[in-house]
Amino acid sequence: MSWAAHQFEIYAVQAHLPRKMQAQVSYFGIYLGDFTPDFLSKFWVYGITYNGHHYGSKVPERWHRGWPGMGITHTLFLGIVFTAIIWAWKRNRAFTIGYVLGYAAHVLTDVNDSVGTMLLFPFTVLSWTLKTWAYAATINGGKYLDAASYYSSLGLVMDLFWMVVVLCSWRVFTRDYWRTNIVPADPHIWSALGRRLPERALLALYRATFFYGVCRLVAWSTWAHLVARPVINGVEHHGYPLDLSWNGPWWLDSRSLHHVSPLLVVPVVLLLLALVYWGANRLWEPMGRAQEAARARRSSSRRS
Amino acid sequence: MTDPVPPSLDHRGSRRLGRREEIFWYAFAAISYVSLGIYHKWLLNWIVGPLWLVATVAIGPAIIDRIRRRPTSGGAA
Repeated sequence: MSWAAHQFEIYAVQAHLPRKMQAQVSYFGIYLGDFTPDFLSKFWVYGITYNGHHYGSKVPERWHRGWPGMGITHTLFLGIVFTAIIWAWKRNRAFTIGYVLGYAAHVLTDVNDSVGTMLLFPFTVLSWTLKTWAYAATINGGKYLDAASYYSSLGLVMDLFWMVVVLCSWRVFTRDYWRTNIVPADPHIWSALGRRLPERALLALYRATFFYGVCRLVAWSTWAHLVARPVINGVEHHGYPLDLSWNGPWWLDSRSLHHVSPLLVVPVVLLLLALVYWGANRLWEPMGRAQEAARARRSSSRRS
Repeated sequence: MTDPVPPSLDHRGSRRLGRREEIFWYAFAAISYVSLGIYHKWLLNWIVGPLWLVATVAIGPAIIDRIRRRPTSGGAA
């Protein structure tokens, strides 16, 4: 799984919208789309231990990404189903397009760990994985071992990469950008929040996910390499050993499910990413017209 | 030394932060959150993290403003 990368990619999507969508795609839509897959599946991955009994998944990787399990939450298929429901319910183009872009970003990013995602579900339940780093959610290790493994592997590089991508588009964090691109796409939400919060807090709220991403990256990395004293193969280490080799770190058994050849993954991910953007681009104008028509119907029914 | 962007008031009459003051509060939030988060990992989650920043930026300057105003208003009384 990816950690802070999921926080950073929200801003990366925002910064790389097609020209005609700029200032018209909902930040909250992108956030919610990116957040949904793990929100629906992750609570049971680590589980909880109460009175000496562990409540949680028996095979975390199967629960999180496999079938049967909650792996369906990490598929473009479910992302499109949710997107269709949101559109049918709200007829809000800004939020709907943001949601599908955020969801796709999450699903496509998660092909990097050794378990990957079922990209072509429901046509096949095979996982698509690049095995860049080891999937490390385990029943005994919990979140701590997961974090230690991720921030000792190429996962750390992945987080830093996304952070640099976003920082290269630093204008997305300016007050001007927030006022001219973010607020107009979600006027009702920002207006409702603005009745209770000062502008500096609203701006902080917009930047807060990036802040959280940077802080968790620094905090978990510091803990894993400077504070923790793990015992690996009977030897106590000062910090978890860093291993930037493919499918690392070496000190953890990499988990995986039945998967396709990793050689197929990059072209298919790029193709699916292009398809999502192409679809959003093609639907943009028709959705705009449908949104206007729904708005007109609502206001005429209110008048009568 | 003057602040490059002078503070002004927002739609609620609250003070906007100047650039240096903004950097200070964001850095304060980050350093405090990371320092505590390393030893109290329950803080490192998607609810507390974003709220930490919003609360710091919303409440911190308001507290400072109140402290700065107190001697003046006390003197006037």
